[in-house]
Amino acid sequence: MTSASEQLLPLAIVGTILAAFVFVGLRHKTLAASEYDIRGRYTGRLGGGAAIASNWMSAASFLGMAGLIYLYGYFALAYVIGWTGGYVLLLVLMAEQIRRFGKFTAPEFVGDRYASPAARLIAAGVSIGITVIYCIAQFKGIGIVFGWLFGVEYRTGVLIGVAILVSFIVLCGMLGVTRSQQFQYLVIITAFILPLMYLAHRFGYFWVLPQFGYGAAMDELATRFKIDMAAPFAGGSLFQWTSLCFTLMVGTAGLPHVLSRFYVVPNVRDARWSVVWGLFFIALVYWSAPAYAVFARLMEARAGAIPDPATARQLADGIVLTAARQGGVPPWLLGVLAAGAVSAAFFTTAGLLMTGAASFSHDIYASFINRHATDRRKMSVAKSATLVLAGIVLLLALNPPGLIAEIAATAFALAGNTIFPVFLLGIWWGRTNGHGAIAGMLTGIAVTFAAPLLGSTFPLLSRLFPVTSSAFFGAPLVILVIITVSLLTPPPDERMRRFLADEVHGHLD
Amino acid sequence: MKIPRTRYEVNLFRPKEGYMVDELAAIVAVLFGWGTLTFGFQFLLRFLEETPSGESFLTRLSFFNLPFHFWFTGQMLPLWFIILCLAFNLYIDRLTMRHSRNRDRSYD
Repeated sequence: MTSASEQLLPLAIVGTILAAFVFVGLRHKTLAASEYDIRGRYTGRLGGGAAIASNWMSAASFLGMAGLIYLYGYFALAYVIGWTGGYVLLLVLMAEQIRRFGKFTAPEFVGDRYASPAARLIAAGVSIGITVIYCIAQFKGIGIVFGWLFGVEYRTGVLIGVAILVSFIVLCGMLGVTRSQQFQYLVIITAFILPLMYLAHRFGYFWVLPQFGYGAAMDELATRFKIDMAAPFAGGSLFQWTSLCFTLMVGTAGLPHVLSRFYVVPNVRDARWSVVWGLFFIALVYWSAPAYAVFARLMEARAGAIPDPATARQLADGIVLTAARQGGVPPWLLGVLAAGAVSAAFFTTAGLLMTGAASFSHDIYASFINRHATDRRKMSVAKSATLVLAGIVLLLALNPPGLIAEIAATAFALAGNTIFPVFLLGIWWGRTNGHGAIAGMLTGIAVTFAAPLLGSTFPLLSRLFPVTSSAFFGAPLVILVIITVSLLTPPPDERMRRFLADEVHGHLD
Repeated sequence: MKIPRTRYEVNLFRPKEGYMVDELAAIVAVLFGWGTLTFGFQFLLRFLEETPSGESFLTRLSFFNLPFHFWFTGQMLPLWFIILCLAFNLYIDRLTMRHSRNRDRSYD
């Protein structure tokens, strides 16, 4: 355990950077008022890319990914590939068409495309479910970082961190702070790479590009300590790798907060190009994540203190911080690293909670409970829903069910099994109707939760639909269900089919 | 005036003549490149494995300081995705330009 004074400086730096976000946000507000404050302003393709990347980068990318590579080596690269390869699907199959369709939140798209209030209700429920699961992972990251900053155990860390998070969200809301996603990306990438350069330099590896420098460390681990982090099938089988990777890919293309990014982009071309930049900015972090894991392993091996698998699993999610601390990264730089993790987790959580709360106030409350709700009433319902959701997530995060990236992966599985198929078919097959979408989404929900709920009774379910990888068989199954049910029921109305043919796919006829 | 013809039903497997056919060709090409390199490479590793943990000449080969397969999956594939997206966008930009010129030059 580090002494209290050692954490004072990091704590001050985290505080300063959070304050800087408020300051930059207020400055932006005076420059250009934006209606969609949480989604940020539009600042060209490069800026759009940085916005996509910062919108994406969460505790799962910042802390969780290195933790998994630390544990499973090559197997965990399925996360790197899943979370980058998904953008290819998003770009070629959805980005332009969603932009042209003109509905950007998942429940709105589903409700409008399928002209079905029930489908919209399910989509809203799924959005909220994804928010909750994804946020548990973020809260775990927040708990680990604040636990370390305040020198307290994990649970107290979660409570402190979430109290700060909620105050931060409320403060930003009251001041009307615009989210500056470019600044946010800058903080995250700097916070991730700088300590890594320091570590590589200290170990005498090629530090200018630590993304390549860690190769020598891997080599030392393999030859001197017989720890092979690169063994392809040591952490999981070919099926496990493939199914996990595929699930994360379709999940990426089905996450509501990723899909709604195209909202602020003024035209279709810029929507496409900002995806390329976004992917590049995301890859910068993912190229670097293995280095933390490898350095952590190397330090353990050199110290002769290799933890047993159970202990390693306990350590994994904090491994980025641990590696930096044990590697002698100075306190100010540790503060920058912690600030990066906090920004990643805070803004992802803020965005997700608001998406979830909007799903509730807009798609459930105003559409089903109180149809005559005024905008003011909807706003206050959304605000309460944000707090309620945060409370639910907090309770679940006190006993986190797994590693950060694993919890996040479950949210991806849910998105890949529900939202992805209804968007894909909704855009590319005019015959898809509301009945199909409803049956598909219900099947998707059942498939996602089959293994955790019924896996012990029916082991086959756990094998076919592993909890983090259920979309490999799940998504194709759901697509099949949607097609079958749609063909057995009457086609969607003429107006929507014409709209799809003329507007979404007919802009150049 | 155009003679009204049978209305087109959107279907991925039966693209509309013109822009959509070319667009679909690009989508198929990108998805092919995406799938074969990502999953094909893992199958190749499995196919070549000499030990249960998957060692083969690909894992012994060193590239950019890293075991070749680790470099390929961890660094080359994300780069490959960027290249695919770049190529797709360049192609679609040109395609859009061509088709909008044919129509009303609204793109210029």
